Amino acid sequence: MSIKFDRVAAVLFLAVGILFIVGSKQLASSSYGSKVGPDIFPFFLGIILAVLSIRLFYETFSVKGHGSKKEKLQYKPFLIIFAATFLYILTLETIGYVITTFLFLFVCFQTMERTKWISSLIISAAFSGLVYFLFVEILKGTLPGWPVWFS
Amino acid sequence: MSTIEYLIHGFGTAFIWYNLLFAFVGVLIGTAVGVLPGIGPMSGVALLIPVTASITGGLPPETAATSAIILLAGVYYGAMYGGSTTSILLNTPGESSSVVTTLDGYQMAKKGRAGSALSIAAIGSFVGGIVTLIALIALAEPLSNVALKFGPAEYFSLMLLGLAAVSGLAGKSVTKALIMTVCGLLLGTIGIDSVSGIARFTFNIPWLYQGIEFLTIAVGLFALGEVFKTILEKEEEEGGIAKINNMIPSKEEMKESAGPIARGSILGFFVGILPGAGATLASFFSYLLEKRISKNPSKFGTGTIAGVAAPETANNAASGGAMIPLLTLGIPGSGTTAILMGALMMYNVQPGPLLFEDHPQVAWGLIASMFIGNLMLLILNLPLVKVFAKIIETPKKYLIPLIIAISIFGVYAVQVSTNDLLLLLGCGVLGYFLSKNDYPIAPLVLGLVLGPMIENNMRRALTISNGDYTIFFTRPISLAFLIVTVLWLVIPVLLKAKGRKVVINVEG
Repeated sequence: MSIKFDRVAAVLFLAVGILFIVGSKQLASSSYGSKVGPDIFPFFLGIILAVLSIRLFYETFSVKGHGSKKEKLQYKPFLIIFAATFLYILTLETIGYVITTFLFLFVCFQTMERTKWISSLIISAAFSGLVYFLFVEILKGTLPGWPVWFS
Repeated sequence: MSTIEYLIHGFGTAFIWYNLLFAFVGVLIGTAVGVLPGIGPMSGVALLIPVTASITGGLPPETAATSAIILLAGVYYGAMYGGSTTSILLNTPGESSSVVTTLDGYQMAKKGRAGSALSIAAIGSFVGGIVTLIALIALAEPLSNVALKFGPAEYFSLMLLGLAAVSGLAGKSVTKALIMTVCGLLLGTIGIDSVSGIARFTFNIPWLYQGIEFLTIAVGLFALGEVFKTILEKEEEEGGIAKINNMIPSKEEMKESAGPIARGSILGFFVGILPGAGATLASFFSYLLEKRISKNPSKFGTGTIAGVAAPETANNAASGGAMIPLLTLGIPGSGTTAILMGALMMYNVQPGPLLFEDHPQVAWGLIASMFIGNLMLLILNLPLVKVFAKIIETPKKYLIPLIIAISIFGVYAVQVSTNDLLLLLGCGVLGYFLSKNDYPIAPLVLGLVLGPMIENNMRRALTISNGDYTIFFTRPISLAFLIVTVLWLVIPVLLKAKGRKVVINVEG
């Protein structure tokens, strides 16, 4: 509940609102057979958002500092897991589901708690293999299975 | 056909072997979701939409929709049962609608009466669920008949009312809730406009032409947001799980809880129908009600059975009641029902007054399956509660990465696009920061789901009136909805200005 976050957010929301107002003005203003075109709805919403964000900005002044207590955030595991997820997404289509999922899960399990690496290994292998088998073999879904250079 | 005939047909649908299986899996997962702190019913349902979509892929569309919604609704009301387990045994509510249950539930567990608290909670949930189902059946037809008379102007105003109600009750700041609603509505305008065929705000990126997928946003904001929260705010778990010894409540306890269960059912049902209120408020109100009418209110908080029976009944009754506006009017009153509605729309089934005429199989199949599902839950929760209590011990180490993996698999299976996965990850981070700073997420998802419908109805109404905006004020029903909308938003502000404490809803 930081006032700073609210202020930055208010400015950002105001920018989004104005962008939508400007953007909707560039759309064709009427559609065939109707006086009400595709621009009306986003135009009004943009105005409402801009007004609300100004109100939010104004509200941050009336809130007295709550004496925000700093809680300790676990940034390190979060950043590792975030990066792992990001890499997982980017490599999913080239390296394939089975290998990326296995690696992703194993890394995350070990990041959460650095114990019992054998069971981490087994669970990540079982999950990636099972999901791929059930989805692709039994349900006939599409999933990039193996590295592109294998197939 | 009469209602009874439809219901019998519905049971016919619900008793198909795979629908029984779907209902069972739904309530089973729902109970697990309820038991696990950190995953609420909203993320649970959102997470399972893509999974069910891929499982039901081989069925014809309407059958697939029926089976999927049976499973997803099962997760929703199953979570209401499961939530009580951790509240009673661990003093940690599994989800927000069971917060009140901790007050007396944990005290009972400390006194060695965990077993009877759990069984009363299960019985209360069952009664609450059945009572609202009967009310749902009775109200479905008349309500959809009324709604069928609505024109686009009335619909537009009614949906505004729904949005205002959810925003007015969600979170600490109405401004923030409204901002989230408008953001959801704006996100809904991205893509090709369905009326004129003009691409809006797509910046010529082909991926954006079909619009922002509701599923990606919902899974990202709810499920990944909660996952990131758990990682960042690692809490050391403490306190052992209370022992469960005697499951059968004594005759005295049964007698003592009969009244609270009956009152909780009715109160929960009515709170549930109200848009924006939902299960958390229902459990809260019913607890307060019991405390007020009790002969010795001082007993509350020290482990009285009424303090467990009333809120647990009410939250289940409310989850059933929330299905009424969704199914008959097509207007979800909470975050979870908004997600259910999004799921139905993915199958091209439009909830609303026409649902009972166009897709009787879906509507009545769902209602019938809720009877069966509630029965399954009663059986699951009475003898098997010890097994479920074990779920709490699932190490977070495995749970958290698996949830991420399931969300990525699910979104990719439905969307087959890396862009959606990146959006998912972005929404996860955004979801964490937004909810941490009291920006409620449920209104955003609601806005995203309702946005296109609101816009279409508005444009239809304006086309009828030839661009005259007074159509919304001159039609009496529409005007009435708009007045209630304004009141809903203004009254809490006035009350706050007077220094009154306004009850808010944390969940969706």
